[in-house]
Amino acid sequence: MNDWQKKSPLDWETYVNKRVKVAAAEKNEYEGWVLTVDPVSANVVLANFPENERVSIVVVLGHAVQEVDVLQEADDDMKARLSCIFAPEESKAYSP
Amino acid sequence: LNPGAVSPPVPGPCSSTPGAAARAALRRRYLRSLAAMRGLPVSFALHERVRVGAVVAAADAAPLAFQVDALRTPLGLQAAALLRCADIIAYAFEL
Repeated sequence: MNDWQKKSPLDWETYVNKRVKVAAAEKNEYEGWVLTVDPVSANVVLANFPENERVSIVVVLGHAVQEVDVLQEADDDMKARLSCIFAPEESKAYSP
Repeated sequence: LNPGAVSPPVPGPCSSTPGAAARAALRRRYLRSLAAMRGLPVSFALHERVRVGAVVAAADAAPLAFQVDALRTPLGLQAAALLRCADIIAYAFEL
């Protein structure tokens, strides 16, 4: 079990809504906004917005995570955008 | 076994400590991400720099493995397969 997997849910929660760079096994690197960290597997779910309408999701598996560096904190607009990515349909906010 | 022994109470997943609330919120979002990827083409980065693509059909709860369809591998196409999470470094999909 690596250091990342040993963290607690409260530790992982501090990474939510932060832009991070994840160093993973075999010199892989991933960057994105943290949507969540699965407390069972320590998998990190990252979101990126390559185009306006598209959302690109990358999940780095907990066992492969070596280091997570925080790059940036989300502003209110970004937090709102991130919170509705996996929200159930009925709770999505629509503009008038 | 000692049937007379009383085990101490263990806080369950529904206890209202801050840690449990954080755990529940994080897990709920992760499970929704699993539900969202069902039926989508997903690319998997495996060990030894192997990249494969597949349509995800199901995952177990942990998850320990993904059941995928139309797995494109360097050796050809598999109609259905199980990918063990221990073999995966990362996976990616678009919404």
